[in-house]
Amino acid sequence: MAHVPLSPIGRPREGFLDAATYEKSLAAMREKEELLASRRAQVAAGWGPTYVDRVHADGKLTARERLEKLKDPGSTPFEVGTFVNHGRKFGNRESPGAGVVTAFTRVEGRWTMVIANDNTVASGSWWPRTPEKIERAQEMALRLRLPVVYLVDCSGLYLPEQSQSFPGRTGAGHIFKKNSELSAAGVPQIAGVFGDCIAGGGYMPIISDRVYMTEKAYMVIAGAALIKGAKSQHLSSLDIGGAEVHVHRSGCADVRVPDDDTALAMIREEIARLPTSGAEFYRHAADPAEPHHASAELSGLFPADHRMTYPAEEVLARLVDDSHFWEIFPERGREMIVGIGRVSGLYVGFVANRQGVIDDPDHCGAKKPAGILYREGIAKVAAFSRACDDDGIPIVWLQDISGFDIGVEAEKQGLLAYGSSLIYTNSTNTTPMFTVLLRKASGAGYYAMAGLPYEPIVQLSTPIARLAVMEGRTLAIAAFNTKLDDDFQIAAKDPEERAKIEAGMKETEQRIEGDMDPYRSASQMDTDEIVACGELRGWLELFAEASYQSIGYRRVKNPRIWSLHDLATLSEPRT
Amino acid sequence: MFQRLLIANRGEVAVRIARTARAMSVAPIGIASRADLGARWLAAMDETVCVGGASPRESYLQAERIVQAAVQTGCSALHPGWGFLAENPRFAALCAQHGVAFVGPPARVMRLMGLKTPARIAMQAAGLPVIPGSRDLLADADAAVAKAREIGYPVILKADAGGGGRGMRRCTEPRELAEAFAAASAEAQAAFGNGKLYLERYLAGGRHIEVQILADRFGKAVHLFERECSIQRNHQKLIEESPSPALSPAERSEIGGAAARAAAQIGYVGAGTIEFLRDGAGKLYFMEMNTRLQVEHPVTEAITGIDIVKEQLRIAANEALALVQDRIAARGHAIECRINAEDPAQGFRPSPGRIETFEIPTDKGPGTVRIDTHLGAGDEVSPYYDSLVAKVIAHAPTREKAIETMLRALAGARIEGIATTIPLHLEVLVSEEFRSGRYDTSRIPGWGVGAA
Repeated sequence: MAHVPLSPIGRPREGFLDAATYEKSLAAMREKEELLASRRAQVAAGWGPTYVDRVHADGKLTARERLEKLKDPGSTPFEVGTFVNHGRKFGNRESPGAGVVTAFTRVEGRWTMVIANDNTVASGSWWPRTPEKIERAQEMALRLRLPVVYLVDCSGLYLPEQSQSFPGRTGAGHIFKKNSELSAAGVPQIAGVFGDCIAGGGYMPIISDRVYMTEKAYMVIAGAALIKGAKSQHLSSLDIGGAEVHVHRSGCADVRVPDDDTALAMIREEIARLPTSGAEFYRHAADPAEPHHASAELSGLFPADHRMTYPAEEVLARLVDDSHFWEIFPERGREMIVGIGRVSGLYVGFVANRQGVIDDPDHCGAKKPAGILYREGIAKVAAFSRACDDDGIPIVWLQDISGFDIGVEAEKQGLLAYGSSLIYTNSTNTTPMFTVLLRKASGAGYYAMAGLPYEPIVQLSTPIARLAVMEGRTLAIAAFNTKLDDDFQIAAKDPEERAKIEAGMKETEQRIEGDMDPYRSASQMDTDEIVACGELRGWLELFAEASYQSIGYRRVKNPRIWSLHDLATLSEPRT
Repeated sequence: MFQRLLIANRGEVAVRIARTARAMSVAPIGIASRADLGARWLAAMDETVCVGGASPRESYLQAERIVQAAVQTGCSALHPGWGFLAENPRFAALCAQHGVAFVGPPARVMRLMGLKTPARIAMQAAGLPVIPGSRDLLADADAAVAKAREIGYPVILKADAGGGGRGMRRCTEPRELAEAFAAASAEAQAAFGNGKLYLERYLAGGRHIEVQILADRFGKAVHLFERECSIQRNHQKLIEESPSPALSPAERSEIGGAAARAAAQIGYVGAGTIEFLRDGAGKLYFMEMNTRLQVEHPVTEAITGIDIVKEQLRIAANEALALVQDRIAARGHAIECRINAEDPAQGFRPSPGRIETFEIPTDKGPGTVRIDTHLGAGDEVSPYYDSLVAKVIAHAPTREKAIETMLRALAGARIEGIATTIPLHLEVLVSEEFRSGRYDTSRIPGWGVGAA
C-alpha cells in the first residue's frame, strides 16, 4: 500500500469532556503555566536591568537581543535548557540559564542552533553545567545536522567554581571536542565574536567555519590581566587579540564588522548561503495544516489529579495536521497507540500511552489498566520503532507511563526480554527521536519509551510531568517493605512505632514528590525544557522540520517503500 | 576601524589618503620606489617600505612586494589610490587572501567593470542607457556591417579589452568598416592579447559627465552628484567642475538616482564613478565605470562636504553607509584645475626638474581654495611618474565666483624651475566659451592650439 491511510481522529472537546471539568483542569494548568512564564521571564532577565544597562552602555546588545535580531522576523526561537541551574546557588550568586542561551532558531528559513553567552550574567562566563548545556545544544545540532551559530561574549570560566566546570569528562574543553565533531560531520558552524572571548572561550569560535568579529571583540588565550608588563605598555586585551590582529594578521577570524547589528546581519547572509531546507521536498506536495481540533485545548485535557485519566487519542488529535492519523495495529497491545501523522506536512511516527482501562487479551471479558507496558504493547512498540527507523520516519514518544507490568504472570511471559528488545531497538535507532513527558514517566517505562538515558535528540516535560523511578507512595512501600504486611499496611502494633513508620513513609513520599518537580529535572539537565501543553504543537513542528531539513546524512524512504506498510498488511484481519 | 593602513601609491594621492587616515586615527604606512626615497611627501607616513626601483614596473606595480609590505608592517587595510594597481582585480584578491582589506570593490565587480562589453551589458541590465551598438562581440566583418546598418553611421569599432585608442576605428560607410575590421582586430590582438571587437554609434564631441557614487556592502548606494570633465587634452582631464553647467536640476537628480541604483544592482561596494557621454541632444549614455577614487574627487568633496576617502575606509571596514540621499546637498560650485609639469608653449612637452619656487595663494578670491599637492620648493619633479604637480580646487557660492577665485589663485601662483600648465588654465578660465558653460570634449575652450 503506497498510500498512507490517515483518517480523522478526535472529537470536539464537548463530546468527551464536560465544560466544568475542562474549566477545572484548565484552571489548575493555568496556575502552573503562569509559574512557568514567570520563571522564564526571570531567566530572561539575567542578573537584571543594571547588567543590561551595562551591556548597552558598552555599545553592545544582550544575548537575547542578538537572538531576536538574528532570527527570522515573526518566528519563535525554541529555547532548550532554560532552567539549567534553576534554584542553585554559588555562594550568594545565581546563574540564570547557566549564563548561556541555547535555542533552535529559524534563520533565513533554516533551523539553526544558536548558542549565545548571556552577557548579563557574570559577563557571559561559564558556570558549573554551562559547558554541559552548550554541549547538549551542540549534540542536538550534530544529530540533526543543523547549522550552529555561536554568539560569543564570554569572559571564560567562572573561576571560583572551576573545579565543577573545568576538569571532568564534560568539562569546558569538551565543548571544543564537540566543535570538532560537528566540523568532522560537515555541520556548518558560524561564530560571531561580540566582546570578551578569553581562554577556553577563544577556542569555541575559531573551529567555526566563518568567524565574525566586532570592533569590541577580542579572542585571547590569556587576557591582558595575565600578561606581564601589560600595564606599563598600556596593552589592552583588545590590542592583544582584537579584529586588527585576528582578522588581518593571525587569520583566526575572517571578517571584521563595526558592531553587533552588522555582525548579525552578515551571519544571516552566511546562513542564506547554506542549502535550503529539505522539508518542502519531503512534504510530498502536502501543505502544512494546523490540527483540526485546537492544540490550545491540550492545557485543559489533563485532569488536575494525576491519578485520573483522559483519552490519549484526543491528545494526538490536537498535535497532528488536520487531526488526521493512521493508527497501526489498533487491535493489538491496546495499552499503546502507535501510528503516523503529519506535522507541518511531514510524516512523524507517534508512540503514546492509552489511558483508562482496556480489555485484557489473556483473560476473556476481563479488564486491566492501561498506562502500563504489557507484552503485546511492548512488542508492538518495538516493531513500530524498528520500522520507523528503517523508513527514516522521526519518532515522537508521548510518555504517560507508570511502568512495566509486574508479577508472576509478567515474568513468566518474559517481559524482561521483550523490554530488552525494545531497549535494544531504541538504543540503536538512528532516525531522529524526540520524547515528551506528558505526565508520568516512571520506572522502566521511562526507559522503554526513549527517556533521556536513551538519548532522544530532545526531551520535553510539561509542567505536570512526574519523572521518577516510581511514584512516592510506591517508593515508600518499597523502602519500608519489611515493616509492612501483605496488604502494604504497617505491621507493628505499638502506636509509637506505627507513628514513626508512618512519619518515615510520609517523609519519603514527600521527598520523591519534590524530586518529581519538573524544575528539578530541568535544573539537573534530566530533561531539556519545560513547555506548556499549548506549546507542544509548535515544538513538534520544529522537530519535524528540523528532522527533514538536512538532506543526505540519513535514510529517508518515500512512503511507497516503507516497511511500515508490510507490518500493517500482516496485521490486517483476513476478510 | 583599521589601525594601520598601507597606502599603495605615491605622491599627491598618497598624501591625500594619509590626511584622512590620520584624522581617523589610522596610521598611514607608505611605500616608495628607490627614486622616491627621501621625498617630502613621505613625511605624511608613519613608516615607509621601499618596494623597488624607480620604474613603476619595479615598484608601484609589484603586487606581491606591496602585499608583503602591508603584512610586515602590520597593516590591516590597503588603499590603492588611483592608477597603478587600483583597478587590478587580481591584486585585490591577493590582498584579501593575505588578510589585508582592500579599500575598493570586490574583485568580481572590478573584473566585470574592467571589460567593456560585459560592463555595458551589466549596466544596460541595471537600467542605464548605453550608446546604440552591438550588444555582444562581433564575430566578423560581415556581422559588423550588418550591425552598422541597423544603428546607422558613423560608427566606431572598439577593442573589448581596449584602452588608449588602440584597436579603435571610426567608419562612415560599409566598405570602410569591412576593411577596418581586420586591421583593428589585429591591432587589438597585438596590444591586449585579445582581438575581439564591438561596435557603437560614433558620437562626435559631446560632454563627459560622471556621477560619483558610494555603496556599502549591504546593498545601499547613494550618489554625490556629477562632475563635468569635458575639458580634456588627449583624453586627459584638465579642468573638472561640479555641478555641470549642462544639466538641469531634474536631469541631475535623474542621472544621479539611476547611477546609484545601477551600482547597487551590480553589487558594487565602495566609492566609484560612472562616466556618461552626453550627446548634442542632451541624451546621456553610459561609457564606463571607474572602480576607484578619482583624481577629481575633491570637486565633489567641496560641494558636498563629504570626505570620500573616509567613506571608503568605513565601507571597507564593513560599516553601513550613514549617508542618506535626501540629506546630501550640493552647496555652491567647485572647479578643479590640474597643474601638470608640462610646457604648453612647447606642445605640452614634459618639464621635469627642480622646483625653485612653489607658491599658490589661497586667500585672494571670494571663495575658498584647496590645494592638493605633494611638492614644495626644492623638490624634484621626477621623470618616472605622472607629471601632476598640484590640483587647485576653488569653491564658491556661484560658478562665476568659483571661476574668479580660481583665476585669482592661478594668476597669483609662482612656480619656478619647471614649466606648468597654468597658462593654459588661465586662458580657458577667461574664455567666453568656458564662462558660458557651453563647451564639449571636441576642443579646449579658449585654447587655440593643441585641441584634443
